[in-house]
Amino acid sequence: MASDSNQIETDIQELEVDLREFAERGEAVPHAGVYRVRIDDETVKVHTRCPTGEELLRKVGKRPCGFELIAEFRHHENSVVEPHEKVDLRQHGLKGFITAHKETVTIFINDKPYPIERGERTVAEILSKVGQTPEGYTLMEEKDGPPLPLPPNLPVKICGCEIFHSQAQSGGSS
Amino acid sequence: MAYPTEQTDDLKRYCEKLSLLPEGGVSFLLMEGLRLPAGCQPLVCDALLCPVAKDGYPSRLYLSVQVVSTYTRNWNCSNARIGERNWFAFSWKVELLNPTLTQLLIAHLNGFAKEK
Repeated sequence: MASDSNQIETDIQELEVDLREFAERGEAVPHAGVYRVRIDDETVKVHTRCPTGEELLRKVGKRPCGFELIAEFRHHENSVVEPHEKVDLRQHGLKGFITAHKETVTIFINDKPYPIERGERTVAEILSKVGQTPEGYTLMEEKDGPPLPLPPNLPVKICGCEIFHSQAQSGGSS
Repeated sequence: MAYPTEQTDDLKRYCEKLSLLPEGGVSFLLMEGLRLPAGCQPLVCDALLCPVAKDGYPSRLYLSVQVVSTYTRNWNCSNARIGERNWFAFSWKVELLNPTLTQLLIAHLNGFAKEK
């Protein structure tokens, strides 16, 4: 008896199911070891039944600071999945997911998250999030390397997830 | 003069190659392929960081080219001959109490991102 249940468990672990196929047939998704999930144009493998929105986004190299995840169901129903929300991949009619750029994204200043509108922003606007101004502080961006100062007279492109640091002004022309 | 290893290791993040260039009693830090702030032209050049007093400044950053930046700088040092190369520097005074090498570098690079 015990060996039968072990065999069933092994079979489940080895079973790989494709969500879209089951949704299109209108069938219930069985318990499986691997769920093949469509996110945008990619098919990714998920090894847990209830991943979070953030875990699914990361499967396609995206993060909730810049993107949102939308679950797509049969009959053209969509619902936004929050980053920490768990999604039951076996829920009826779930076809897959799409991602979308957020309009209000999250940036990080001195290791803390702050919301900001996507697009071109000024150094002053970014520093104001931490109650600072370009007159007293330098804004530095960590982009493809260590943090470098940003000139306050140039726009800063915000797509989401940018990392900034601020530090008190030091130095001056002499 | 030797610099703390943790400080030179941190400084390496800003350039492709870091080495010591001793000359005239000063241990210059030669930073090949130093990344410069946004708005600079070029965005990468070689640099010499002098963490001790020189030419009347508490510290200096020499660059291999006269960089064009969003703010006009007073390039009061042209073709300074150090390590058999010519170097350029703009007038920029950094007054920090016991800065690390990285803090010093950032304070000098800030000269490209600050109006005055």
